Amino acid sequence: MFKKILIANRGEIAVRVLRACRELGIKTIAVYSEADRQALHVRFADEAYLLGSSPAGESYLRGDRMIDIARKAGADAIHPGYGFLAERADFAADCADAGLVFIGPKASSIAAMGDKAVARTTVARAGVTIVPGTEGEGPLRDEELLALAPKIGFPLLIKATSGGGGKGMRDVFSIEDMPGLLQSARREAKSSFGDGNVYLEKLVEGAHHIEFQIMADQFGNVIHLGERECSIQRRHQKLIEESPSPYLADDESLRQRMGAVAIQAARAVDYANAGTIEFLVDKDRNFFFLEMNTRLQVEHPVTESVTGMDIVAEQIRVAFGLPLSRVQDNIRCRGAAIECRINAEDPYNNFMPSTGRITLIQPPTGPGVRIDTGIYAGFEVSPYYDPLITKMIVWGETRPQAIVRMRRALEEYRIVGIRTNIPFHQTMMDTYPFISGKYDTRFVEEQFSMIDAAENRELYLDIAALMATLVAHGQMEHRSQVYRRNDSSSIWKWFPRLGRQNR
Amino acid sequence: MKYIAEVDGLDFPVEILDEHHVRFGEEILEFDLAAVSGQPLYSLIVNNESFEGYVYPDEGSWQVLLLGRSYSVNIEDEREKRLRRSENGNILPDHEFTLRAPMPGLAVVVMVHEGQLVEKGQILAILESMKMQNELRSPFSGTVVRVRIKAGESVEQKQVLLSIVPDVSSPSKH
Repeated sequence: MFKKILIANRGEIAVRVLRACRELGIKTIAVYSEADRQALHVRFADEAYLLGSSPAGESYLRGDRMIDIARKAGADAIHPGYGFLAERADFAADCADAGLVFIGPKASSIAAMGDKAVARTTVARAGVTIVPGTEGEGPLRDEELLALAPKIGFPLLIKATSGGGGKGMRDVFSIEDMPGLLQSARREAKSSFGDGNVYLEKLVEGAHHIEFQIMADQFGNVIHLGERECSIQRRHQKLIEESPSPYLADDESLRQRMGAVAIQAARAVDYANAGTIEFLVDKDRNFFFLEMNTRLQVEHPVTESVTGMDIVAEQIRVAFGLPLSRVQDNIRCRGAAIECRINAEDPYNNFMPSTGRITLIQPPTGPGVRIDTGIYAGFEVSPYYDPLITKMIVWGETRPQAIVRMRRALEEYRIVGIRTNIPFHQTMMDTYPFISGKYDTRFVEEQFSMIDAAENRELYLDIAALMATLVAHGQMEHRSQVYRRNDSSSIWKWFPRLGRQNR
Repeated sequence: MKYIAEVDGLDFPVEILDEHHVRFGEEILEFDLAAVSGQPLYSLIVNNESFEGYVYPDEGSWQVLLLGRSYSVNIEDEREKRLRRSENGNILPDHEFTLRAPMPGLAVVVMVHEGQLVEKGQILAILESMKMQNELRSPFSGTVVRVRIKAGESVEQKQVLLSIVPDVSSPSKH
């Protein structure tokens, strides 16, 4: 087995990979930016190396420095996590040239799936249905796109050619809106990926975003680990994922067909290691290939929960050259798992990013709850990186049990100092379309509102009024006491004793 | 001390009697309030019912996050309440509007210049934070009077970006 692995990432995913390495008895190397000196992945690792200043371009995107550090430290492999360098074919190739194992697919597979046009042509040739779009035409100018749009038909999507994570993506409902949206999509794509090229794709209405987890070894064995339903999205960013999909439910024949197509798509690019095939499933249960993510996914823990497989450990074994530890017939999904992505965003203020110091964390524990996180009390949420700070995954014997458990765990989870979207998840767990499993990719943006959804919940206006008044009263009392003592500098030391102090 | 706490349009009179008793409307309640680990996270036991909430000040009011729901509570002592009522509560929107950064980030584009007329909803600037670009729009029609940022500059949360004076013909003004 590998002796030492460099983890070319940060945050919760760096911690996740580190844990797999530790369990396999492999030494770990963390890399970090100046902002992350005190991050958990740095403190948990056996060795840690500074990459550079805080912006990702000066740190986590510096493949050259990653490789230098890996060689200097005597690593035999690099795990890229997700984001940053995970889907950069040139980085995978550079690792191979430097004699390091890249824990992921071959550079050629990344390149084939990374260019959306090539990916879609490849899978279409293998007989997989794709969503109609213009990506096959190469880079087009605005006038050309405007001319092609009516042929595809509205509504449609503008997508960044080198895109991902919902960036550089816009929904278009009419030709009049299109010039402005093209401009803003190109601008965002340019700043996120350094490439302002966009293409058009038909927007499938009432669609479900359902993806299949693939695992492949270097001997040509490819299996799938079932699906994940990822239709709870906002601005094309996933917020909640679950397995199995309540939309596929017990339609075992559709599940088998989609799984077979996913394996076929992976084989078409000679795929090895973990990957994900994303599909759109329309309201008539037709499914279309959307894209392949040639890396570990954020939401991999829901699949781990229902299959019992440690996907990261399996990635490492397969990259080392071992065959898959299971065959398709040994993959059985048990129970139901749900993941909530907890972002530093304020759901009461249009999901504005929230930054600052986390002063207290009280994580939920107990039966069936898993937390993947990179934060701790004292951690500073900076504007440099993704707002995802922690993920909570629950497992239940049935989907209703998983929902009840998620509600319980969300209520236990306290993160103080910044705003998080925990209230969004709590509200969602009480929303009829979610509970009944009848939601599609437009649900959050078109039908969901924090205020309307909260109307069914029990109100505690009196308790809220009382609590706020007692807190406000305590603060005013202490302030006036401090002023009387003519010692305004000590004001802060009174706060911890609020409400319990003698007058 | 007597207070009036207003939440969702309802007034709750609260009189603090001593450190464990409060008159809440007509009722006298026994309570104990403790800040958890010195944080703005409060455990409240009231008549032996236990609640935990996150309470923090926000632009003149108090936000209470309690059992998965956020409440905005306005608290005034009686004196303040009378004072405000006597002013008959009419504040005209004739002062200039200051656009502040809703979050720390990078000003990617500044779309307006000083003296420019803007429409309601027009994009004023684009702020990038956590890899997302956020369009900041004008809340009303008016004239840009000051621009304090340039494209490419980093801004802190609540930093003043620019100011706009509402259009004189704007119907929002009496």
